[in-house]
Parts: sequence; C-alpha cells; structure tokens
Amino acid sequence: MKALVAAAALALGFPVLAQEAKPLDSSRKELSIPHEKYTLKNGLEVILSVDRKLPVVAVNIWYHVGAFNEVPGRTGFAHLFEHMMFQGSKHVPDDVHISLLEQLGATDLNGTTSFDRTNYFETVPSNHLETALWLESDRMGFLLDTLTPEKLQTQQEVVKNERRLGTETEPYGIAQEKLWQALFPTPHPYHGAIIGSMADLEAATAEDVKAFFRQWYAPSNATLAIVGDFDVEKTKALVEKYFGSLRSAAKPEKPQVAPVKLAKEVVIRHDEQVATLPMLSMAWLSPAYFTQEDATADVLSTALTTGRASRLYKRLVLEKQLAQSVTASQQSLGAQSVFSIDVVARPGVSTDTLQKEVDALLDEVRKNGITPQEIARARTRYDTQFLSGLQSIGGFGGKADVLQNYNHFTGEPGYVEKDLARYQSVTPDSVKRYAQEYLRPEARVVLHAVPPPQAPAAPKENK
Amino acid sequence: MRRLFVSASLLALASCASTPVAAPPATPPAAEAPAPQDSESFRAKMPEPAKPPDLVLPTFEQAQLDNGLTVLVATRRQLPLVSVGIAFSAGSAQDPAGAAGTADIAYKMLLEGAGGKDTITLDNAFGDLGVSPSVGVTPDGAFLGVQVLTGNVQPALALLADVVRKPTFAPKDFERRKKQQLADIVRRLGSPGFLAQQAYLKAVFGEGHPYAHPTVGTPAEVSQLTLPTVQGFYRKHVGPKATALVVAGDLSKDQAVELAKKYFGDWKGTAVLPPAPPAPSVPPREQVRYVSKPGLEQTTVMVGRPGLAAGHPDEEALELATTVFGGFFGSRLNMNLREAKGYTYGAGASSDARLGVGPLTAQSAVRANVTGPAVTEFFRELADLRSRPITSQELESAREGLIRSFPGNFERVSGLGASAASLFYKRLPMDEFTRTVERLEKATPAEVQRVAEAYLDPAAMQLILVGDPDLIQTQVGPLHLGTLTKVDVAGAAGK
Repeated sequence: MKALVAAAALALGFPVLAQEAKPLDSSRKELSIPHEKYTLKNGLEVILSVDRKLPVVAVNIWYHVGAFNEVPGRTGFAHLFEHMMFQGSKHVPDDVHISLLEQLGATDLNGTTSFDRTNYFETVPSNHLETALWLESDRMGFLLDTLTPEKLQTQQEVVKNERRLGTETEPYGIAQEKLWQALFPTPHPYHGAIIGSMADLEAATAEDVKAFFRQWYAPSNATLAIVGDFDVEKTKALVEKYFGSLRSAAKPEKPQVAPVKLAKEVVIRHDEQVATLPMLSMAWLSPAYFTQEDATADVLSTALTTGRASRLYKRLVLEKQLAQSVTASQQSLGAQSVFSIDVVARPGVSTDTLQKEVDALLDEVRKNGITPQEIARARTRYDTQFLSGLQSIGGFGGKADVLQNYNHFTGEPGYVEKDLARYQSVTPDSVKRYAQEYLRPEARVVLHAVPPPQAPAAPKENK
Repeated sequence: MRRLFVSASLLALASCASTPVAAPPATPPAAEAPAPQDSESFRAKMPEPAKPPDLVLPTFEQAQLDNGLTVLVATRRQLPLVSVGIAFSAGSAQDPAGAAGTADIAYKMLLEGAGGKDTITLDNAFGDLGVSPSVGVTPDGAFLGVQVLTGNVQPALALLADVVRKPTFAPKDFERRKKQQLADIVRRLGSPGFLAQQAYLKAVFGEGHPYAHPTVGTPAEVSQLTLPTVQGFYRKHVGPKATALVVAGDLSKDQAVELAKKYFGDWKGTAVLPPAPPAPSVPPREQVRYVSKPGLEQTTVMVGRPGLAAGHPDEEALELATTVFGGFFGSRLNMNLREAKGYTYGAGASSDARLGVGPLTAQSAVRANVTGPAVTEFFRELADLRSRPITSQELESAREGLIRSFPGNFERVSGLGASAASLFYKRLPMDEFTRTVERLEKATPAEVQRVAEAYLDPAAMQLILVGDPDLIQTQVGPLHLGTLTKVDVAGAAGK
C-alpha cells in the first residue's frame, strides 16, 4: 500500500528523529557521518557523503529561509512558495516534478518548510542521480521563467486545503494556533503559524513569488547534500555542470529579531469545536536550538511524558486516571524554542483540575530536579534514536538531513560530537535550574481548549 | 563491504521512456540575467539515466523451533541496531462476536505487567534499554516490537519473553485499561477521518463481518468487556504455533535462532493460526451514507468496495491499476482533484490485500463548498478507466516506479521487521517480494485494463461522506448516486 506523498508536508520544526539527534557516550564511529563540504563559485555549499548500503542516492537541498523571513501580511508565504517550486521551471514541464521522480522509483520525495529553513529532497535509484540534479538545478535557477498567476492560484487553494486539514478540522488545531500567537506577539516573525492565515494566503501575488525567489533562493543561500551510492569525482563534475553556472547573488542578511519575553501569565479559554475531550496546554519560551539548555529541556520533556513510568503519565494517567494522554516537548528553533506540555482530559475531567496536578508536579521538579536514572534512560533512548536516524540516507531526519541540520545551525555538518556533549552535561541539578529559570508560572501561556458539554459521548448502537 | 542482498534477476528495462516531453515553454521577456542560450541549452533535455543497478530486494530467512515458534530474520549489518518483535497471528478480526476491542485490549494488557513486574517496573526495565514499547494491533495480527542497540538485544528479548509468556492480567490494570480505551474512542470520535473509516468499513464489509469494526472497538461493546473474555482471547490465540519472533538488523539467522531457543524454546501453548475471514459480498451501491458534522470546513470522502485477499492472482495487476488511478502523487485522481482543481490537499487510492479480502479504497478531504463537484470527479475518474483506458505510458510509469522504489522503501530495520510480520500474518512465503516484482513485471496491459474495469467499477463503489448535512443534501443529493442515508458514528443506519 503506497502512502500518498504530499508535495509539502509542513514540518513543524525539525523532524523528530533528527531533532532528537542525541548521540552516544562513547565516540562511536557509527555516529560520525564521513562527508566532504565545499563551496561553488556562486556560493552554493555542497556536502557529499558516500554510503554504499543500497544502490540509491539522496539529493537534499536546504534553502536557508523559512517562515521566520516572511514579511508582515504574508504569513504562510515561505510554505506557499515551497509549493510553487514543484510547478515547473524553464526546462522542466509544468507540474511533473513529483510524477517524473515517482515513476523512476524515487522514495522520500517531498519538500518541507519550517520557521528556519525550507528543504527539498528525493531518494532515487543510483542511476538517476543526474535526473535529480537536473530537476533541482532548474528550479533553483529558472523558476520564474514559467511562473503564471494561474499556477499560483491553484496552489493557494491547495495550501488553504492543507490548512483546513491541519488546523480548522484538526482536533485542537485552532486552539494551538491561538496559543502559539500568544507566545510570539506581533511583530515577531514566529507569530504567524507556518501554514499562515487564510487572509494572508489569499493575498499572495505572483509578484510576491518573484520577489521572494530573487531575495532568498540564490545559490549563495542554499546547501546541496548528496548522500548514498555515487562516484565522488563524477558527481562533483555533475554538480558543477548543473549548478555552477546559476546566477550568483550576495548571501542575504539574516533579520535580527529581539527575543520575546513574557511579562505575565496569559490564559486562553477556547471553545473547542472539533475535539471531543478537553485539553490543557502550557507553553513557555525556551532557549534556542543547540544551546546547553535546549538539551536540558529535551531530557526533562522525556522524563515527564515518555513511557508509562514517566512522571506526568504515571501520575495523571495511571494513578489518578484524570488524563487520557500527556505530551511534553521542547520544540527546538533557531530564534527561540518552545517548551510545551499538552494534557488531554478524561471525559468529565476539567482542565482546571489538570492544571493543579501539572503545577504540583512541576513544583517538585523545580525543587528537586530529576534522578540520575531518568537522565541515563533518556540518553540511552537518544543514542538509539540517533542511530536509527542514520539508517535512511534521505527523507525526514535521514543522514542528509542530519548533515544539513548541523550545517544550517552551526556551519559544521560534522557537529555531532559537540551536539552530544550537551547531553553528557545534563545533571539533576541543571534540570532543576532549567525548570526554575524557564518554566516559571508567571511567564507562560496556558490554554484551556474545552468542547461544548453536549459533545458526543458513547454513540448509540442501532441494531 | 559485504553484499547483504540477493539481487533479483536483473530487470530488462528499457531506459525510462515514460517522461512526458512537453514543448519547451516560451521564454517570457522578463527572464533575468539570461545566460547565453547555447551554454545552457543542455538543460532542455532530461538527462539519460546511467545503467540501472541490480535491484536489491529485502530478504527474509525463516526457521521453526520444535515447539512450532516461527523465527523470521532479516540481517542488516551496517549499524549496531536491531529490531526485535513478536508477531501475533490473531488481530481484531478474531474479536469474539459482540466484543469488538478484545484483541486491542488483550495485547495492550501484556505491557501492563508481566513476569512479576508491575506496569512501572516493566516500563523502567524497557526504559533502561532506551525504549518504550507499544503494541500495534491490526485486523490480521498484532506486533509488539522494540528497536535497540545490538548490545541490548538479550535483555530486550528477556523482557519480551516475560510480556508474551507471563502477562499478569491484574484486575485493577484491566479496569483502568478499559476506561482508557473508552475515553480513547471518545477522543477519536472528534476526528472526521475516524468517523469516515468506521462508517466505511461497515458499509463495505457488512454488519458483523470480522473486518467491519474498528480495532479499538465500539463504546457499547468495550464497556461490556470482562477480564475473563480478554484472558480467554489470549489463551486461545497466543502460543508458539501462532506466533513469530521477528529479528531485523545486526544479527545473523543462527544468532537469532539461538536466542529464540533460549527465551522461547520451552514455551508451550495450544493456539493455532486463525482462519481467514470470509469473503464479503459486493453489492451494487444503493445508498450514499453520510455522517453529520455541521459546519465542518472539509468533507471527508471515502469511496470503495471489497478488493482482494493477499496472494490472489490479480493482486499485482490491481496494484498497477490502482497506482495509475490514485496511488501516486501523479495519479489521475490526485492530479485532477488537487493539482488541476485545487479541491484538496491530496486524493489517493490503495488496495489493502489482507489475509482475507481487504478494502479497495479511494479517499480525500475536500473543501466543503465543492463536495458535490469533488464527488462527481471521483466517479468520473472511475468511469474514465473504461472510456480512457490506461495508456502504455501510464502503465510503464507505474510499473517502473513501483519496482524501482523497493530498495529505498527498505532502508530501516523497523520496516523490515514490520514487513516480515505482515508476511507472517498473511501466510506468505519469505521470497514474496521477489515474486511480487516478477508479477509486477509480467502483468500485461490487457490484464491491467481488465482488472481496472472489473474492480474499479463505479457501480459497485460504496460512498461515505463526513461533513455538513445541509451541504451534502444540496450538493450530493442531485447527483443520483443513491439514497442519502445518515449513519450514526458507529456506522449503523440511523432512524
């Protein structure tokens, strides 16, 4: 059974496996990905990594632009633009990009947009590497030659449907958007969710597409990674052939944005229209991706809600039976991260009751931190997940994405050793300090998403 | 590096001639910084592919212990990572009549305490190995697996053996699990997709068929479940003859068998493989069933009928026809509904060949105000398979795409493990994927067209909608696709 490949999965933050790229205690050779990085004359960065496990090659391009770089009134634009990149270019017919790759046997074929970057990737049988480079170079160099308002209009409709799917008709979708916007008030560039608002999606014009392309989609603002079963010298020649002559432009400046601080607790009470059970969400601003505290937050979120023995699950689901599910996460982002806790209530349990319980448990963490055993288990879990991510050469969180991710945020594709060092430094005491400093009750957004009381309970069985 | 795979017979495939070649678009006058035309002219033609590599297919080895336990192994040596799991051959299709949800709760109970460890102690023991196991229950079977570093395989197997062989089934855990299950069903009722699926399975398989109810069960039936029923399911269906140990990754077959003997060699039990569910009838469509969700901004559309059981001679021909119709992004259905009309974020179709006859389904979530036009397009595309037969280009693209994507689809040990489990549920031989590829290669255009017309006949397709009732009345009523019938969330006909 083939899953439908959507042309624009909206990756909210980095794919889980790679975001949790939290390697091993020992400097195991399996964890470092052998690679070579160089730069073309026009500024395009190239990362090559050979992996002969299977006769396939992953081609993966990161453009260093995301929803963070949108202008006011155009939320959702980076992602809408991503859709336009599949619509054809000067030498590639309209709307054949995906189908053409599909029929060659490509897998892991998609594009995703986050706040910090946009990526495009495909894994192809090794004999079709050149085809993938031809396709990717054409849209990098010649997208605007065939852009029409009609193409844009169709994709505006497609993306609005994507928003309806993921926001309007998704349980808690609208509620979560409200929470997000309260965390990042305007004019912060994270204010608009990645998918954007219906009004802003409607407002986009073909001129906007052209301007965005010219500003952000230059080779100097992109990194091409090729991972898999290929000949290095031949591939370097192919990269030069397809990408070397593309227009050169100065690397765009990254906007400077002052960090947000929450001055007081914000409480949102939302009448939930889709979900059937109440949900409590709490969210705090947290240090940016790759800081030490970002690793500390990862460990804490694991100790709180991963597994039956985790603190919140044990207390709320097993012992008190007040909650149906609990999820804590550190969403690691370039400008500022978000630490959140979501608790779905059992039928008949109020979100206020849940809040008292969560607060009591967080107080314990602020007072005593967590145990060395919990930290050790989290580390073992990350080791396994990190290795697991290295099985795929492409796709979400595969090798190419891992190299790209490190390169995007630190400039070093081989940052893995330094990344893992952060997790070695987490202690019960540093978790306690993190909770005291960042998870303060007076600096958070609390969302109560409560469905109307007449939500369907048990359906009637009509025999 | 060791070659891990037996490469399949080299496919004599012509280099891909399936690329649509369009006339080069006219260059608009405003092209920026045009490079001299001649230096970039090489881009006008799609590159010729190099010689295709040998097709590498996943290979599975099989062994059986004296007590009947099946051991399935797929060795992958590159990383110190192993997926170990237990495949149980009974699934929700084996739920006792009137007790939907039994299998799901029975398997979930295994992780609530075993071998003298309570829920928390057991979870922490797994946590020490870096995992939190969960069990996935399907109509045809269930899989309980973990992915661990090679060094943790033995302790992981020791825990899995306890979980499978010595579950506690404590009454207090059962009561809690049952409440969680009931709340989980309530939670799911908020999802339009879940509502559609419930109504769909009932419409396609008919009330009371083993495939007609959701795996999680229904509120009415789950609330009546008792611990003896659940333990009875376990005793009847879980035992060495009905179970497989699945090992994928950094272990050899010999190592896997050795470990299987150590942890499961003295396991006894009378459970046997369950029979396949009966084939459902395929009546013509008389109703259009809908679940009412007033004000819903997208209508969920599901169209389908009983398809095929695994191993049926038409399976690959139907896979090819379904791929052309709605399997790929570039399929007729998706290119029409998403890319030409902008009605949806995606529309697709798939054939789910199970141990018994599984569903053949097309689905989408469409903008509410184009519900009628979108449904019309679904049926137009189905009818078009007859009036616009599948072209050789469409067929060869689907064939090449399906065959050549095999290596990329088997990069992960978890995927290898899940595939091995699926072969076990469906009683398929271990070289099934090699045979699948052979059959995909052999399917003739005439066969694929015959199968497309036979199975994707619009008249036999049931139609289920979840959305705003007034809008459905106004837009779908006039299409004369059947009597509009409101169904409640459990899928039974409403009054």
